[in-house]
Amino acid sequence: VHPLLENRQRLAFYLIAWLPVAAILTIILRRDPARWLETLLLAPPMAAIYAFMCMSAWYVCLIAPIRGSSLARSLGTLAAAAALSSAVWILLGEIWAVALDPWMTTSGLTERYSAQGATIFAIGILLFLLAAAAHYILIAVDQHREAEKRTLEMQVLAREAELKALRAQIDPHFLFNSLNSISALTVSDPQGARRMCLLLADFLRSSLVLGAKKEIPVSDELRLVESFLDIEKVRYGKRLSIIRNVDPNCHGCLVPPLLIQPLVENAIRHGIAPLVEGGTIRMDVQREGTVLEIILENPTEPSGEGLAKDGAGVGLENVRSRLSKLFANEAFVGVSQDNSRFQVRLRFPCIQFGETR
Amino acid sequence: MNPIRIVVADDEELARSLVREYLKDSLDVQIVAECANGFQAVKAVSELKPDLLLLDIQMPRLDGFEVLDLVGRETNVIFITAYDQYAIRAFDVHAVDYLLKPFSAERLAEALDRARKKIARGESTTPAALVTEGRAPGTRQDRILIRDGSDVHVIPVAKIDYVEAQDDYVCYRTEGKRLLKQQTLADAETVLDAARFVRIHRSYILNVDRLAKLELYAKDSHAAILRDGTRLPVSRSGYSRLNALIG
Repeated sequence: VHPLLENRQRLAFYLIAWLPVAAILTIILRRDPARWLETLLLAPPMAAIYAFMCMSAWYVCLIAPIRGSSLARSLGTLAAAAALSSAVWILLGEIWAVALDPWMTTSGLTERYSAQGATIFAIGILLFLLAAAAHYILIAVDQHREAEKRTLEMQVLAREAELKALRAQIDPHFLFNSLNSISALTVSDPQGARRMCLLLADFLRSSLVLGAKKEIPVSDELRLVESFLDIEKVRYGKRLSIIRNVDPNCHGCLVPPLLIQPLVENAIRHGIAPLVEGGTIRMDVQREGTVLEIILENPTEPSGEGLAKDGAGVGLENVRSRLSKLFANEAFVGVSQDNSRFQVRLRFPCIQFGETR
Repeated sequence: MNPIRIVVADDEELARSLVREYLKDSLDVQIVAECANGFQAVKAVSELKPDLLLLDIQMPRLDGFEVLDLVGRETNVIFITAYDQYAIRAFDVHAVDYLLKPFSAERLAEALDRARKKIARGESTTPAALVTEGRAPGTRQDRILIRDGSDVHVIPVAKIDYVEAQDDYVCYRTEGKRLLKQQTLADAETVLDAARFVRIHRSYILNVDRLAKLELYAKDSHAAILRDGTRLPVSRSGYSRLNALIG
């Protein structure tokens, strides 16, 4: 749809801009001695018709954009369109003059009009070009506004995605329970409450920063795991203990962010939380040549007594799909379980920063 | 006025200490026990008969809903949860009071006030439907809990042979034992997996894995013979349900 026709206000402005054109046209065509009646019957209607004809400049502007390589061709198209529309315009004027002629008290309107042909043709071309310029500006403004709107929409979408990712990463149970711990510590142990606030802030910030990256070194991920464990230690007290077995050679290997932390979180949620006495989580990060191996092991309730624990499945599925996106079939995710232990094992190539895969 | 006697059940010591702190100046409230897991909570309720149980949903051994299943008829319950969409929806549906962690002293006082009024009116109790509706879909219970005094029997669902209605009780038959639970057969039916258990009669639910054969013993009337030789009556509608399940 033509941008002037879809907006009444714009159309009104455009038509008002044509009033001076009608006035100028009247002055030019009035002749000497002035024949006001016939000029007024001729000039303003012609201006009105041309106002609508010039709206077609929009289509010309669309097919002939003023941009770099095709500039010369665009200008040619524009000139041809201006000449054509002006020619049509003087022809329409001629027809109107011929129609009016018999009604005039003084004869010779048609001849007088024809004598002005060249001037009117020139004015027609000029007006069309002006209209084209106006349309170019209009199109540019519209495009700019559209782009701005799109940028804004993109920003909103990106923010939403970020929040969604954060929600997916941070277990609400963990967050609210931690806040509850802080609330409990405020009176009994104000220092502890402050420490817990700082730990929580630290963990949330690292999750956000690391979560936004595509890959991070194992050492960064392990720091995140530690700040998570610090908080869980406050909540679970001596029910939670952990054995770490980390080969420093692995620190530089790149992993997708928040790969290990959710596994530790699962181990606590499904391993430690259901046990009255708690237990020990074991985390191994080892390297065999070019292969990185991560093992997480947690105690479980003796079988037969516990509820079937699902939920761990979803988290593991997530890990599997992220690893296979990065390493295709070179990644391995395995689970094993006996009466009292549950183990997750990940194996995938260790690629350091700067190496290509 | 006697103080309200409360049992607090939460596996986190810090969370319990918060409740303790909030209530330490209320003279009309007395904490009679603190429990760190579901079994302790059931034991405490059975032995101490408190007026009110502050019950965290996520706990080791037995979760809050299982505790409710076992002692919900005997005491008023205020649930506590950090974040549990399904539970919260079920609480709202059944107008059951709950506290969201972290909660304020005022919020706890409000909940206690409401509970106090309920207790004074002699109203109690929390609808049985919560036990199934409060859980996330797909996390069906795979065990049945039965209380015997302050002890709790845990029966894996797969080991149940059949369930029989007996007056106000339901009798679970498992490994030659009979265990009674105060509930209706309809309640038992909602808890048991419909892919394995079928209501064959007004008074019986059968584990179809135990079925050896079906006998026609009168016109329109069948009997189910189990692997151990037990005969159970099968009603006409029970017969069509059984047929629909095992084809």
